[in-house]
Formats: sequence, structure tokens, C-alpha cells
Amino acid sequence: MKITGADNRVRITERSLFYWILRRHRPMQFFLLLVIVVSLFFKVFPLEMQKRIINEAIYLKDTHLLFLYCGLYIGAVTIAGLLKYAINLCQVYIGQKILVEMRTELYHHVLQLPLQFYRKMQAGTVISAMTAELNAIGFFLGGALAIPITSILTFVVFIGFMFNLNPLLALLSMGVYPLEIIVIPFLQNKYNRLNKKRVKTTRSMANVVNEAISGIHEIHGNASYGLEEKKLSTYIHKLYDLVKRLFIVKYGIKFANNVFQSMGPFILFLVGGYMAINGQFTLGALVAFLSAYEKVYDPWKELIEYYQDYQDAKVRYKQIMKIFDLDPVHALLPFSRDPFTLQGNISMKNITFTVPSGVKLLEDINLEVMANEQIALVGYSGSGKSTLALLIAQLYDASQGTISIDDHQLAELSKLDMSSNVAMIAQQPFIFTGTIRENLLYGVQAVAGDGPLPDRSHILSVLRQVGLQDDIIRFGLQAVLTPEQCKPFRDKFLRMRQIIHTSLRSDFEKVVEFYDAAAYLYYSNIRDNIVFGDSLTGEFIIEGLPDHPRFMELLQKTNLEKPLLTLGYAIATQSVALLANFQDDEFFFRDNPMRADEFTTYSQLVEKLDGPQSKDKEARRLLLILALRFIPQKHSIVSLPSAMEAKILAARRRFQEIVFHIDRDPATLLEVWSPCITGPKTGESVDFIPFCPGEYMYTHTLLDNILFGALKSEQMLDEPLRNLAGQAFQGEHLLDEVMDIGLNFEVGSKGDRLSGGQKQKLAIARAFLKDAPIVIMDEATASLDNTSQARIQGLLETDYRGRKTVIAVIHRLDLTPSYDRIVVMKAGRIVEQGTYDELMERKGAFYDLARAEF
Amino acid sequence: MTLPEQNFNANGLGNITGRQEFLNRLPMFSGAPAGVTKMFAYLAKREEYAQGEIIISEDTRCDRLFLIMSGKVDIFHRHKGRRFHVQLLGPDSINYFGELAMLAEFDWFFSARAWTDVVLMTISREAFTKVMERFPESYPVVVQKIIKLHINRFADQGSYFLSHISPEAWLEDPPQ
Ligand SMILES: Nc1ncnc2c1ncn2[C@@H]1O[C@H](COP(=O)(O)OP(=O)(O)O)[C@@H](O)[C@H]1O
Ligand SMILES: [Mg+2]
Repeated sequence: MKITGADNRVRITERSLFYWILRRHRPMQFFLLLVIVVSLFFKVFPLEMQKRIINEAIYLKDTHLLFLYCGLYIGAVTIAGLLKYAINLCQVYIGQKILVEMRTELYHHVLQLPLQFYRKMQAGTVISAMTAELNAIGFFLGGALAIPITSILTFVVFIGFMFNLNPLLALLSMGVYPLEIIVIPFLQNKYNRLNKKRVKTTRSMANVVNEAISGIHEIHGNASYGLEEKKLSTYIHKLYDLVKRLFIVKYGIKFANNVFQSMGPFILFLVGGYMAINGQFTLGALVAFLSAYEKVYDPWKELIEYYQDYQDAKVRYKQIMKIFDLDPVHALLPFSRDPFTLQGNISMKNITFTVPSGVKLLEDINLEVMANEQIALVGYSGSGKSTLALLIAQLYDASQGTISIDDHQLAELSKLDMSSNVAMIAQQPFIFTGTIRENLLYGVQAVAGDGPLPDRSHILSVLRQVGLQDDIIRFGLQAVLTPEQCKPFRDKFLRMRQIIHTSLRSDFEKVVEFYDAAAYLYYSNIRDNIVFGDSLTGEFIIEGLPDHPRFMELLQKTNLEKPLLTLGYAIATQSVALLANFQDDEFFFRDNPMRADEFTTYSQLVEKLDGPQSKDKEARRLLLILALRFIPQKHSIVSLPSAMEAKILAARRRFQEIVFHIDRDPATLLEVWSPCITGPKTGESVDFIPFCPGEYMYTHTLLDNILFGALKSEQMLDEPLRNLAGQAFQGEHLLDEVMDIGLNFEVGSKGDRLSGGQKQKLAIARAFLKDAPIVIMDEATASLDNTSQARIQGLLETDYRGRKTVIAVIHRLDLTPSYDRIVVMKAGRIVEQGTYDELMERKGAFYDLARAEF
Repeated sequence: MTLPEQNFNANGLGNITGRQEFLNRLPMFSGAPAGVTKMFAYLAKREEYAQGEIIISEDTRCDRLFLIMSGKVDIFHRHKGRRFHVQLLGPDSINYFGELAMLAEFDWFFSARAWTDVVLMTISREAFTKVMERFPESYPVVVQKIIKLHINRFADQGSYFLSHISPEAWLEDPPQ
């Protein structure tokens, strides 16, 4: 992202709060000011009307005048209200606009801060600064100019009005204000100090929670709940204490205000009343004066509140900016040139890397790497290999010495130069929330900008190279496609289904129970057995069926309701009895119609019920749901009474009549029934798709669709089935399509839905896809199985040889012989380098390492 | 549980009651608390293999215990490209294999195939571990039983080997 504009010359963290306010959206702010000035007139005008109503209309008993003045009064008040409304909207608009810019520019800055910064900084601090704390400032920003200007002007105008009426009275009633000017700021200062502490404590609290959530595995593993709670409780109590004191001061300020506010009328009535009695002051003027006095207090109060808000916002703003007050080290874009295309000659001279605590992680590193050379970096853990790799990738910056690539000093190269030329695979790569495809293209996209991205065949070939093919195919097979996604391949997929059901039938029959309109399906649930199809709108999901009038009518007509309730009751009672001590582990509910999180509901239900045929609607609903989820061959908790099968089959037929509104001639009932005949022809319920060999089931996975049946065991999904399906797909040239679909698999937050190996492979593929001349791998294959490791090693030896400079940190020394040179590190220094044979012969550090390994 | 209105057929091994009876007859679970066998009955899986099909093969990861409910299973080793039969298991006497998979994670050191059509009941190591975590007092007993079962099999295989041994192997002492 590129941000231009004159005001960006000042570093973002050094700008004052008003820097943003005074420089942004000036026309809009000017417009706001105009509205404010106009609105002033409409505020004072009603006061004048008040005076005249009393002094002229009422005094002269002139109804005509009374109506006129009252009309003008209400008109002015309404306009003033509308203008106030407009002013408020304007303020919010301006404030939020500025907030958007502030947040965008700050995030831009924050992302570029060096890794060292993040070593020290807790994620929680950064998160709460970027979100909640900035929000609070946003509310202030909008009114930052408008509120003081309005208030001061209103104040001045009303006071002017009062002086105009009676200078003495005006002077007297103003007498209390100076007192306030001394007391309030004193309290406010106190408030600010407490508030600063509150912000700090809140941040620390956010950090504790953030860390606990990130490390929740460890907490569960150690059952260290008490420990974590104690950590937080310190902050909770500290916060309680602070907020308590904060509000004592805050309401103290309010109290002081109130006292001052009541002083005014007291003086007014005393002196003004005295003067009116003595005829020195008209009654109308006194009323108007009282109104004006009341009104004058509003802007005053607003000013005080504004002052508080301003102090508050200033504190927050300063604290936010203080966190990020660092310069990004490297330019983002090259200065008036295209990014370099580098050869890959890397030269390091006298490199030392010292961390702020003074520890030297690397010392006096000298290393020359030629273009296309492949270097293995080995050494004990903690010897500085990763640190060196990060330095070469410009992610850390050397404390002393220089690194250059092709005669360009690394310090001089922009981030874009680096990212176009270096592909780095970190020891613990990060996978982003999103699809596999998005993750794969992450690196290329950043470099290419709006330019062309690699085509599909290239992406797929990289996936094959890193050994992700099978996984992607499986994701593809498990994808649920929308009609639009499916459309181009629908016929091909249905053809696959046909092949499986004809020529490959005997192979697949072992692992799949095919859908058959005339047979009971023992590997499908009762709902599927009855509904035998699906609605795209989710009309027939199990949890909704007990409230589906036509479905329930069907159950009654086919005498299924009672037996289903009985079945549901049996499942509920059996499961509750069996799993009472196991309800905390989902494992025990894998093959049960009840879910672990429903256990409490059902155990309470069972306790309440004394039989399956309850009158209670909710109880019946719950029991029915369990029964409809029941899969005879999967759920061992009860067995299906054989008498129910025939009833269910009959219900299946009746159900199709209901959804398609067919009145079946009783004579044809005996004919072989097929859902496809009754199916879409009637055209009325296009939304419903029956399990019919010619129909794609859009609510099912691609695999389900191709198999057109239920898997007999999840274990089958892996080996035999994948092989069978894979071969069949290959034959039909559909494999690429399936992989393409698999690329849309959502990997979950931080890639949680991927295994460690899959994440690592994805990170490798992401880097390889960049096709950069320099590849840096930090134990990139360490978490992979031997086969995958060998595959990637092979790729370096063949495909990358003579094409790319490779620097690979390697843990397993048996992988090193194929490298051109091995560099051995120890305690932050290079102690040895040479080919595998040379180093083994030398019997030095490498030899020792290798001996330790075997 | 028996239901007054419906008779859930328990004779097949599809449900808990039938399976539990089957497990109770096995030496491995004799004397184990009813809660343990009931949970295994609940978590067990049924697997069917047609005659000649491979059930497990050497060098794949072990993950479950097999109990033979009907049919016969051929246990064999592959050695230098040849297949060596070592044991024929049926529903009577030694009607189990893979018992060590309950205790440790390793690669199968033998293969098994269906000699006739077979029906097996399997218990995964995951299920075994998760259940035994809840019955720690029974764990040592069950482990002992499993080891005894393994010794039984070992003895059976040993005597089979000895009676089929080649004349060259007929040595009283191991070669130096
Ligand atoms: N930014 C840092 N601040 C402080 N210590 C660090 C930093 N980075 C790494 N270290 C420490 O420096 C040493 C070398 O780390 P590293 O380069 O990751 O070693 P290797 O990759 O060889 O195992 C380790 O002891 C590590 O704890
Ligand atoms: Mg490392």
C-alpha cells in the first residue's frame, strides 16, 4: 500500500492529536463551523421572543402578537434542534473519517516495525492499542474543533445577551465561574493520572488473557487453571481499585459543577427579584435573563466535559504512539526504479549481531556465497543459525559489518527488492486464516501487486513437488460445492459416479453402501432413510424436522412417530447411563447420536421422563432428534428394531409424494418406486433434490456425490478409497479439477485445520511458488516424514541445481552430502566450512556433530 | 436395557449388549469391571473381510486390537520376498491378534489376511487408552492379561515353528 500526501512527512508517532484534526477534511470542518455560527442565532432568538411575549404580548393583552411571537419562538427552537442534529452528524462523520485514516496509517507503520520490536512487545498491547483505545479517540476527534468553538461562541453570545439586559446582574451571576476555573482543573489532573494507570493495567490484563488463549493447550495439559486465574486476578483487583478511585474523582468534579450551577439562580433571584420589585427591571427581562443564565451554563458544561475528554484522548493517544515510536528500518519501495533482479551472490563481512541486552548472538561472521551455490548451515541448536538466516533475509539487521547481495548493500535494498528476490521458509512458518490458495499465493501476490499470478498448472505442479497433492485431493473430495461451482463439472462428476456404480462396483461395494431407493440404508441415518434427498434451503435438517408440520403428519400417518420416540428414548437413557462419567470428552460421543455438548440437556430430560411417550412438546422434539440421527451400523448404543425398516421404507415413498405434491394412485403403489421418476418433473419443489443417480446432491461433499452412498467406515476414507478414487479421477482427467476445488479449503485460524506437516509443506510451496533466485530454508523440512523430506531434498538437487542460491539450515546431517558446501556454526561463530567429504576427513566440529547423530 | 414395547435385537453383535457378552467370554476381560467391558463394547468397531483380503500388513502403523467373531485369519510373515505362514486363528481358543497395539505404538511385525470370510471386532488404541484412563485401578490387571495373551500366542507360534523347522536349524547352540 502506498500513502501519499504532504502531511506524511512527519513520522506518524510524532504527530500531535491536533495534527490530524487540523489537516484533514478541512472543507467539511469549515462547513461545520458555518452551521454552528448559523445555529447560534437560532439559539438566542427564542430568548428575545420570551421577553417580548411577557413584556409586550401579555402586558398589552394582544393575542395577535402572542401568536406571532409563539410561532416565531417554536420555529426558531425547531430550527436550532435540527441544526444541532446536523452538527452532531457532521462531527461523527469527521471523527470517524479521521479515525479510519489514523488507523490505516498507523497499521501501515506498525507492520513495518522491525522483528526486534515484536520480540519485546506483547500481542495484547498492540491489539488493544489498535482497536479499543483508538476507538475512544475517534469519538473525541469529531468534536475536537466543533465543540470548543460552539461552546465558546454560545457562551459569549449568551453573556452578551445578558449584559445587554442588565450589566450588573450579568456581572454578578458570572462571579462564580472563576472559582470553577481553579477547582475543576485540579481535580481533572488527578483524574488524568489515574486514567493513565487504568489504561496500562487494562493492557496488561489483555496480555495475560491473550497469552492464556494462545497457550490454552499447555494450560489444559498442566491443569494450571488456578495459576492462570491468579495471574489475571492481580490485574482484576488492581483495575477495580483504580476505577473506584477514578470515579470518586469523576463524580467529585460533577458535584463541584452542580454546586456552582445552583449558585447562579440563587444570586439572580435574590438580586434580580429585588430589582424587579423595585421596578428597576421588567418581568420579561428577568424571565429571559433566567433562561439565558440556564443556557449559558450548557456551553460551559460542554467546555468542561470537552476539557476532560481532551485530556483523556491525549493520554490515550500519547500512550499508543509511544508504543510504536520507532522508525521502520528499510524503505518499502525502491526509490524511482524497478526492483532489482538479483543473481544471488551473497557476501558477509565481519558480521556481528548484538541484542539490546548486550548479548552477542553472532560474532565476526565472514561468508561468501556464489550465485547458484547450495549451502548447508549446521550446528548445535542455539548456535545462531536461524539468526544468521534472518539477517540474510533482511528480517534482522546486523549490528556491525555488512551484508551485500550482488554488490548491493543489504541495508540499502528496499523491502520489495528483498521480497522479489528472496524466498524464506521459517522454522515455524505462519499460515493465515483463509483458503489454501490464498496462503499459497500470499508471497507472489505481495510481489506482483496487480500483476499476473501463476496459472493453475504451475500452482498444481508446485503442490506435487512438495508432496501436498494427496491432501489437496482429499480436501477437494470433501468440499461441498454450490450449484454454480459445480456447474462446469457436474456432468463429469455424474459420469464418475456411473463408472463407480458399474465397472468399479465390486471394488467400491466393500467400502460404500450405495443409495438405493428400494433398500434400507444401514450406514445412513433415519432422516436420510425417510427424506432420501435434501433441500437446498435446509428445510429438512434434522433439528428442524420436529417442527415441520408436513413431516410430522407423515410420521403419524405411517405410524412412525411412536416407534421413533421409543428409539430416541432408548438412545437417550442408554447414553446418559453409559456416558455419565465420560461426558467431558468428545471422543466418547463420536459414534453416538448425542453430542457431548448436549449431554446435560438429555440427562435432565431422562430424569424428568418416565417413558418415551411424553406429552411435553420439547421432550418429544429432543427424543425425535436423537432417533432421526441414528445410524444402525455406526451407533452401537441400541439396535434398530427390524419392524421399523419396512415402516421407514413406506414413509420414504410417502415423503416424496408430499414434497412433490403427487397424489399417487394406490394401484401404482406396488410398482418399483424411484425418486427420479417422481422427482423434478413436477417442477414445483425445485429446491428439493432426491437421492437419484442423475442428480448432484448440493448439500453433500463431492466424495459423497461420486460414491453416491455412505462410507462404511471412516478408515476406508484414507488408503483404499483414495487410491480407488484417485485412479478413477485420473482416468477421467478430473484430478486437476478436484485439486482446484481442494485449493479452496479453509485452513482455519493460523492453519489450525491442517496438520503440522501440511502446514510446513504449504509454507514450502508458498516460497517455491515465488520462484525467487535466493532460497533460505530454516529447518524447513524438519517436521516432515522421511519420504517428504527426501522429495524436497531431491527437488533442490535436480530442479534447483544451477538455478538458485540455496541457504538451508539443516538439522539432519545425513541430508548434507548433496550440498556444495557445509558451514558449521558454534556459539555464534563459523567454525568450519567445506564439502561433506572434506569435513568428515578433517575430523573437526562437523565430524563430532555427525558422530553424535548416529 | 430391555424395552417393554420393542425388542431391540441383541443377538447380532451390532449393539452393546451382544458385544458385551462376547467380550465377557474373552480371557482378556475376564474379571474386569462391568463398566470397562461395557465401554469397550460401546466403542468397538465391526470389520468384515472377504476371503483372501489383507487385514493388516507388516510395516504399517498399528492402531487396534482384533477379535475374531467368525471365520479364520491367516497370520504370516514376509521374509526375503517369501511368505511364511505362522498361525491360523479362528473364533475359538486364540481368537485375537494385535493385542500389543493396546500398549504401545509400533509398526506391525506380521501380516494378516482373511483365510475365509471373517467378521472382526476391533478396539482402537485410542479407545483403550481413553477408557483405561477412567479406570486406573483396573489398568495393571488388564495389562497383565494382555501380556499373558501375548505369551500364549508366542508359545503357540513357537511350537508351530519347532515342528516345521528345517534340518539345518537343528542346532543346540546359537552359531558363534
Ligand atoms: N532477538 C533475540 N533476543 C535475544 N536472544 C535471542 C534472539 N534471537 C535469538 N536469541 C537467542 O540466540 C541464540 C541463537 O538462536 P538461533 O539463531 O535461533 O539458534 P539456532 O537456529 O542455531 O538454533 C539462542 O540462544 C536464542 O535463544
Ligand atoms: Mg533455529
